[in-house]
Amino acid sequence: MNRYFFYNFACVSFMNLMLFVPYVLIQHRYDGTVMSLVIAPVVGTVLLYMYTSAMSRFPGMGMPDIFRERYPRWFSSMIIGGFAIMWWLSSVFVIVAYAILINRFFNPDANTFVILFMLLLACGYAATRSSLTVMFVLEILLLLNAPFILFILVKMLTDTQFNWDAVHVAANYVVNMPNLSALAAATYIFTGYISMSLYNRLMPPNFQYKYRYIYPVFGFAVLLATFFIPIGLHGTEAVGQYVYIWSVTADSLIMQYGFIERLLFLFLIVFLNLTLVFTMTAWHQAMEFVKSCLPGGKPEVDNHRIPVSNYVIIAVFIVFTLAYMFLVNEKENVRYASYWLILRLFVEILLVVWIFVLSRRRMDRT
Amino acid sequence: MRLLIRLLCLAVVIGTLGGCGFKDIDKRFFVVGTGIDWSGNKDKPYRITLQLAIPSPKVESGASKTQYEIIDAPSIAEGIRMLKSYVDKELDFGHCKMFLIGHTLADKDIRPVIDWMSRRRDIQSVANLAVGEPDAETVLKVRATSELYPGNALYLTFGSDGTESSYTYVETLSGLNRRLAEKGLDPALAFIRNDNRTSYIVNQIALMDKQKIKMMLSPTETQLFNQLSKHFTKASMHGMFKGTPIVIAINSLQSSFRIKQEQDETIIVMRIRMKVVFEEAPSGVYNASWEAFENELSRDYEKVSMALLEKIRRAGIDPFGFGLRYRAMHNGQGSWEQWQELYPQARFQVHAHVKVEGTGLIK
Repeated sequence: MNRYFFYNFACVSFMNLMLFVPYVLIQHRYDGTVMSLVIAPVVGTVLLYMYTSAMSRFPGMGMPDIFRERYPRWFSSMIIGGFAIMWWLSSVFVIVAYAILINRFFNPDANTFVILFMLLLACGYAATRSSLTVMFVLEILLLLNAPFILFILVKMLTDTQFNWDAVHVAANYVVNMPNLSALAAATYIFTGYISMSLYNRLMPPNFQYKYRYIYPVFGFAVLLATFFIPIGLHGTEAVGQYVYIWSVTADSLIMQYGFIERLLFLFLIVFLNLTLVFTMTAWHQAMEFVKSCLPGGKPEVDNHRIPVSNYVIIAVFIVFTLAYMFLVNEKENVRYASYWLILRLFVEILLVVWIFVLSRRRMDRT
Repeated sequence: MRLLIRLLCLAVVIGTLGGCGFKDIDKRFFVVGTGIDWSGNKDKPYRITLQLAIPSPKVESGASKTQYEIIDAPSIAEGIRMLKSYVDKELDFGHCKMFLIGHTLADKDIRPVIDWMSRRRDIQSVANLAVGEPDAETVLKVRATSELYPGNALYLTFGSDGTESSYTYVETLSGLNRRLAEKGLDPALAFIRNDNRTSYIVNQIALMDKQKIKMMLSPTETQLFNQLSKHFTKASMHGMFKGTPIVIAINSLQSSFRIKQEQDETIIVMRIRMKVVFEEAPSGVYNASWEAFENELSRDYEKVSMALLEKIRRAGIDPFGFGLRYRAMHNGQGSWEQWQELYPQARFQVHAHVKVEGTGLIK
């Protein structure tokens, strides 16, 4: 079952390869990103170890179940509701940005709302399924897309245009003090473990998290790739001009004998899949969190009949996402996303420490 | 109930299909070459030439049909929009791989052109750029008799599918953008002339600063530049040995450079290793000592490359990326300013190692 944990981790890492994380990191390339890249794996790894060891003391329980067991109903509902909003927001930024991206690159004449609505319908439908189904969908789609992501990354690294001098220049700024916004963005790569807040329900009793040393290594490699590959291909200065840095980076390479010459289209399709998968799991988690605040029986992980409440909650999510799209433009979306990244860092630390303390108390009691 | 929901979803999907902005392929004009010139008119400074492909059922040499649209406009984007009212189909830049900038415009300022190109989403970042002489319009209007598809003669010249010439310098849009912005790495563009009405000559390079052309390289210098900058290494080279001319073909060439600082002097050391075979040589060369040839050729090579490096440096530009290397090696904010002071006084050292691999098929 350890591989399901890895999928969750990899999904968040790969997802952030392209959108806001590199944008924020590159924005701060001269004032603190490189030092943040060094610190982020440490922070990420500590949080990951704390959270996984805490969660393994609560077999078959998710974060909402833990809170509900301990605290009065009104209090736990409030906390869990807050987390549900965080989870929901995490994917809203991504999917709205992706809808705008499709509008920019595929079809500038189409209405962004229509595109977004289509994406939301697909994700929303997938998110209403049972937790187990969502996990399987995640596995299948990630396995299908991972080879393409690796292909794109290797192709970029081995390209003749790749300039190691530029990478070296950027890495020289390691002496600068880390910057909060860059640190928040860099730690986001390591955030995949937080999905265990819900999916721990699926884990069998006596489950052990194994091979945890892989995650820092994997995360750090993704982090280096997301920051240095665009710099190697665009240089230290030009890299700051682009709004969709990874899309432009993919476009500056050519697949001479591929079916489609422009690597951009392969890239966009692969990341469309990832965006949909990411939104699906994030919404599924947010939905389950909301459900655990409602009165009801024990949560099921593999229900055959989908409860109506699932549809209702997801419908509310869709409506609010469309409303968000209506209210913000492209630039504001990026700005809010970078604020959200900072907020997330603190909320995440709070959640991890909280659960960790609760798990120690539980051990003392038994 | 379930059926109703499914039908509803289907209805929504079908209902939104009409909103797609897709235009059929026969309603599009594919632009295969774009030229941007300086018109000389202050009010409408840009002359835009579009080469539009006309689909033709015949695929044979010289059967490609194109249509040209030319307009003078105050800005490039306005010009393109205006041109849309001249043609009956939607203009599509998605297949345009060649962008030519007229010589006069390249002597003034190419930045507005590059800015416009980078902003358009349908222009590929891998599109090739070059400078057209005397202007882009003339070069685009060359009807190459060997052309199979509209616009593909120029494209084949630059892509690695067709001819691989040691004189062609290929620069893509994203590569040029990088060089225009990077501190310590200056742009260069290939220079296209038309000799008569049916073909092109691409054997020169225009070296630029961050804005316009600073100097032109002759064909021999162009070849050398391509080798030194690792752009194209399969080439040939002339030499003299004891009064007899010899020509060698370079099979492989590796060049690298580093920057040394000795006392208060900055030295740029360039190392070139190459493996060569003879193409033209005096008879009996097989039995003679190859070492003498190797030394002679190495010294020749060092001399000409040194002259080229000095010449480029005197123009105050740095297309090899020496400055970038210096910034990579020296930490801190001030390294770029330091380099700007050091570069004009820097000394070059070139070490060439020619290794003869054989004499061809005969002795």
